Amino acid sequence: MESGSTDPAGAVPAGAAPAVAFRNITKRFGAVTACDRVDLELHRGRIHGILGENGAGKSTLMKMLIGLVLPDEGSIRIDGESRAIHSPLAAANLGIGMVHQHFSLVDALTVWENVALGEAGRLDPGAIRNRIGEIAEQYGLVIDPDARVGELTAGLRQRVEIIKCLRRDPNIVIFDEPTSVLTPEESVQLFASLRQVVADEGRAVVLVSHKLDEVLHATDDISIMRQGQVVDRLLAAEADAPTLARGMVGREVSLRSERAALGVLSVDEANGFDDTPIAPTTGSTATSASDGRRPVLSITNASLRGSGGTPALQDLSLDLHAGEIVGVAGVEGNGQRELGDLLSSLLSLDSGSVSIDGTRVPDGRSGAMARAGIGVIPEDRHDSGIVLDMTLAENLVLVDQSAVAQRGVLDRRSLDRFARAMIDEFAIQCAGPDAPMWSLSGGNQQRVVLARELAQNPKVLIAAQPTRGLDVGAIEYMGERLEAAAEAGVAVLLISSELEEILDLSHRIVVMHSGRIVGEMTRSEVDLEQLGLLMGGAA
Amino acid sequence: MGAFFDAIIDIISSDSTYINGALFAAFLIFAASGEWVAERAGTLNISVEGMLLAGAFASAVGYDVTESMPVALLAGIVGSLVVAAVQAEMSHRLSADQFVVGLTLNILVFGLAGFLDNELEPTTKHAGRWVIPVLSDIPLVGDALFAQRWPFYLLFAVIPLTWWVVYRTRWGLEVRSVGENPQSADVSGIDVNRRRRQSIYYAGFTSGIGGWFLIFGVIGLFEDSVVGGRGFIAIAAVIFGGWTLRGTIAGCAVFAGALSFRLSVQGLGYEVNSELLQSLPFVVTLVGMALFAHRVRAPAALARPFVRGLK
Repeated sequence: MESGSTDPAGAVPAGAAPAVAFRNITKRFGAVTACDRVDLELHRGRIHGILGENGAGKSTLMKMLIGLVLPDEGSIRIDGESRAIHSPLAAANLGIGMVHQHFSLVDALTVWENVALGEAGRLDPGAIRNRIGEIAEQYGLVIDPDARVGELTAGLRQRVEIIKCLRRDPNIVIFDEPTSVLTPEESVQLFASLRQVVADEGRAVVLVSHKLDEVLHATDDISIMRQGQVVDRLLAAEADAPTLARGMVGREVSLRSERAALGVLSVDEANGFDDTPIAPTTGSTATSASDGRRPVLSITNASLRGSGGTPALQDLSLDLHAGEIVGVAGVEGNGQRELGDLLSSLLSLDSGSVSIDGTRVPDGRSGAMARAGIGVIPEDRHDSGIVLDMTLAENLVLVDQSAVAQRGVLDRRSLDRFARAMIDEFAIQCAGPDAPMWSLSGGNQQRVVLARELAQNPKVLIAAQPTRGLDVGAIEYMGERLEAAAEAGVAVLLISSELEEILDLSHRIVVMHSGRIVGEMTRSEVDLEQLGLLMGGAA
Repeated sequence: MGAFFDAIIDIISSDSTYINGALFAAFLIFAASGEWVAERAGTLNISVEGMLLAGAFASAVGYDVTESMPVALLAGIVGSLVVAAVQAEMSHRLSADQFVVGLTLNILVFGLAGFLDNELEPTTKHAGRWVIPVLSDIPLVGDALFAQRWPFYLLFAVIPLTWWVVYRTRWGLEVRSVGENPQSADVSGIDVNRRRRQSIYYAGFTSGIGGWFLIFGVIGLFEDSVVGGRGFIAIAAVIFGGWTLRGTIAGCAVFAGALSFRLSVQGLGYEVNSELLQSLPFVVTLVGMALFAHRVRAPAALARPFVRGLK
């Protein structure tokens, strides 16, 4: 298969050897083929978007380019010469650099120390500080070289990543899901500097993403990957969002999840091809249904001092009724995490209380909230949702083993039966109940968490950033499940930094700022401008 | 009650309390400085106990054969490095559990040293005393710090060397990064397990000096009980010191104070149950840990093995 035949040849400077050419690359992990005979070319002076769902093989492909994974078959040519890239250092020597999603910074070290990591030769703090200053000036990436990385915001941390990558003056730069941790403004800044990185010295840049809008607006060439194969190649100028979405999932997707996949940059664009306006569909009935009824979950005057002495929660009161989805909107870091932690029994309040069905639940006592009927899909799956080294079946019963154990002894057979039932019901793609959790893709790991929490028949379900890092199909599925849970009478609290997701799913929306609820509106009342002002703390 | 305070004052105004304290502190610092480096790289290196004993025994044998103290020092370092090599290669090349390896090594070295001591019976002696004029005349601490046997003064090379290596060299930066976030270090192109092995070798290096110092700077002869669990106190000092070098040295000083106090109680003729007294330094260690252990932040990847690609 010759890639030139399907490549938009007009985009390629004639005669020049591509900066990178993947030829017939195949990589298998056990029974799974992560990359299946991939052909792909990257050219100097252009931004190449690689679009695909989680598990489509795009990360694996990039890991081969920077030497973290070796291909089973095929070859990688750099500037026309076939190269074996055995380690990140070898990749760096070939002029390949990567801006990692979240793996390459050491929190305990300072900015300059992080930038110096992985080089050779004498350690010269002065020279490194100077170089950071130069890069800062050249690309508008201003940063304090002596700041401790652990104390920086996500946007600044990424800035450090970019500087660390550019310091080696790479010819080929890979950005791996760069906006997954950024605010909209930070994303805009990022793409501005991305253009500059390309314009200077004709670098080849790869943008790996599952956000359609991002790829559409920030790139020149687009390759779409699905199930380990490159299924489509287009020019960004000739592509549109629905085409990309179809190519990515291989079928029509509902517009909702498509919009969610567009991500944070896209409030305007999404409304541009919007045929399901934010309308008073079920919202009005939900609010009226909740009138005059006793709330299931009631948080009263919750206050909590944060680690820095500033209040994390300030006099926060919130009622949640059976059958409604309440969305908590807000810029990250305004108390949403603490709200989720409070309802997971991880935090004790300084004052205030939490009640379920009118009965007070002690806060900060391990397991109390869960016993009272609160299920939680936690914000960070790997950190607090699952145990990666345990099996799928074991993860499914982490919270409650009563269904599969007698007098504290696990019954393997009923555990197996239970797990198989859950795998069927939630369509979890895996090798079986005994598959280790780490062998599942992110979307399927999240299904396990969802299955476990719903199996408890909770009265209240807290979904904290439930679709973070998931692909279009998984986002769609999660939305359907949350709606189904609400229809079955569960009170759902959706905490999300993806505004689109909140607008799509919630019957009622509350906005958090500085640890308090600064506004509340039903779906029918939503005014985007007002919402934005509330989130920014300006209203 | 009055007699009790008189006794305390008697002990803390006695020169020998300070001299012994300085000796214990020096021994602990030799061990703890290398242990600190190993821990910063992510290994809770409990075989430091065995390293010290191997270093002490090897230096005694080295002296017995050559009658040269510098050669004895080299022999001590080599002996300690052998233990370090087993620890490093087993836990960071073969991925064996670092605690199991460390415990096994400690027991093995103890048995071997006792056996070989009986077989070889190495004879040793004290190193000469260096009295530094003027400074040694300072009351109370003058003799303790400036009139010791000459191996003591190596301390003033090992402490700055350790600081410089960890905070001022690329190797030190990489050591700190593999102890904090090995995945990030790996992605940045650093051989994580190699740095961890090297840091254990550094612990072997300083422990070897410590073992040699114990024989020639303190006791003058070898027995299999010379280390006697003090390697674990060195580990406690690193934790007590919050994984900073300064804190580690302060921890060594505090624990050395307890060890020396115990000696002085008996030396000055006060009658206290000796078994109870024996436990005093360890009680101080436990109390110190209870007070300080939760206030400090350990290297994030301490005692976590690193396997590439898994996370």
